Amino acid sequence: MTPKERVLGCLQGTKIDRLPSAPLVLNHCSRVAGVPVSRFNSDAEVMGKAQVAAWKRYGYDIPLMFTTTASVAEAMGTRLFFPEDDAPWVEQPVAEDPANLAKVKVADPWKDGRLPVYLNAAKHVVAEIGEQVFVGCIFAAPFTTASHLRGTEAFIRETYKNPGLVNELLDLSKASALALIDAMADIGVVPVIVDPVASSSLIGPRQFEKFAMPRINDIVARAHARGMPICLHICGISRPIIELMADTGADILSIDRIDMAEVKSLVGHRACLLGNVQPAETMLKGTPASVTAEVKAIIESAGDSPRGLIVSTGCETPFNAPPENIEAVMTATRLYGQR
Amino acid sequence: MTNPEILNALAGAVIDMDEEAARTAATAAIETGMPAYEAITEGLVKGMQVVGDKYEQQEYFIPEVLLCSDAMIAGLEILQPHLPVDHNAGAEKVVIGVVQGDTHDIGKNLVKIMLEAAGYEVHDLGRNVPLASFVDKAEEVGASIIAMATLMTTTMEGMRTVVEELKSRGMRERTTVMIGGGPISQAFADEIGADLYAADANVAVRKLKNRQVA
Repeated sequence: MTPKERVLGCLQGTKIDRLPSAPLVLNHCSRVAGVPVSRFNSDAEVMGKAQVAAWKRYGYDIPLMFTTTASVAEAMGTRLFFPEDDAPWVEQPVAEDPANLAKVKVADPWKDGRLPVYLNAAKHVVAEIGEQVFVGCIFAAPFTTASHLRGTEAFIRETYKNPGLVNELLDLSKASALALIDAMADIGVVPVIVDPVASSSLIGPRQFEKFAMPRINDIVARAHARGMPICLHICGISRPIIELMADTGADILSIDRIDMAEVKSLVGHRACLLGNVQPAETMLKGTPASVTAEVKAIIESAGDSPRGLIVSTGCETPFNAPPENIEAVMTATRLYGQR
Repeated sequence: MTNPEILNALAGAVIDMDEEAARTAATAAIETGMPAYEAITEGLVKGMQVVGDKYEQQEYFIPEVLLCSDAMIAGLEILQPHLPVDHNAGAEKVVIGVVQGDTHDIGKNLVKIMLEAAGYEVHDLGRNVPLASFVDKAEEVGASIIAMATLMTTTMEGMRTVVEELKSRGMRERTTVMIGGGPISQAFADEIGADLYAADANVAVRKLKNRQVA
């Protein structure tokens, strides 16, 4: 089976040869290409080629395009700082002073920030290997984007103190996200929305349901209207909101720190599950043997989940993780994930 | 209001995230002649301890803790001018910061809030802190605790450098090193020779309070 047939079979519940495996290999692609992260994330050709090279190197079932969770906010006016060889971080949120709210603009995915880098790289990957694989494109959901427009601490505080401002920033962020969904539908890639700032590591289920979730619902609906499945990734603590995540209608739920047997019993009948080898403990610090043991345990816990399981990592594979640990995810899935 | 009522009102205002109620109760404490120290430790701080427990039990999350802290600060602003000048002279000193290369500081800020509520004197170096600065600052202020946070796998190794720097300056024995943040674990703390790993802000305070001081 090609990776595309395997993933499609997993999502549709038809017979597959083995579970799909898609570790979140993102900035690590720069290691495969031998370029610093700052080259990888600023040049569409470099990024596209690095993605294809990494896919050929490891053979996972879904290549995933990504640079940072702040890329949408960047395209809307937030300034990032770019270390030479690490992922960028937020330097100056555009609406750090709320007086600058008028400077926040809805992103045009083909013009603003580095979104064109990302989309053009995705086009390259689709052209090169899109016959065989679905290409995923990761970008931040509105709550996370809005937090990067305002400054995270002020923003989550204002969910109580100034909900009007929060809603305004969320709606602008949602408009950018919907534009990205349309752009992705046009080039034929599968959207993966990530909302780490809406996780229970920061906000509780009540604030999630009130502010983050309505916008996620709209994005899921737009993806479905454009005929695409969509994956929702919320890393950090997500056990208190796992049922709400399923309520969004996302086709795939990407899980970080919850036991997969528990996730299966709670929401396995409503969405395909993706996860959740520990990024730091296992992928970075572990050995192929510890990776293998964890993949085996995940498959034993949720390999029979009613809507399918895609073996992956809980969050991004640290870009300096040993390549043999990524290979071990693939080898272990082939070994223990036969169907 | 009787004294127990005032103390309950102070604690309740913090738990309810109510700055105005905290000011009212603090003013009542001063007017009835309650010692400011008692109003703080038996009122506001008691409330913050409940908040810490609610946070640990996932009843409160970060926005709620921040707003509870605002209420505590509103009360403190009224009570502090009435404290004796040497009220916090014996407090243990903590140097805290987010290690170099990382700017995620909300978790660190939460630990700082809970440490201050627990009576520690906290020296906050902020985020993206050069590694030597932790040791420089601890030396300068005579801190017995260094607390470091990071959310990034790429910057966690910096914590090891700080532990090594403490050793090379002969300060390791008298300094407690506590670490925390997304990718950090007890196994990593053991690996780099840190004394304590704290999974959240409330645990951080408890582990520091419970540690064996040599």
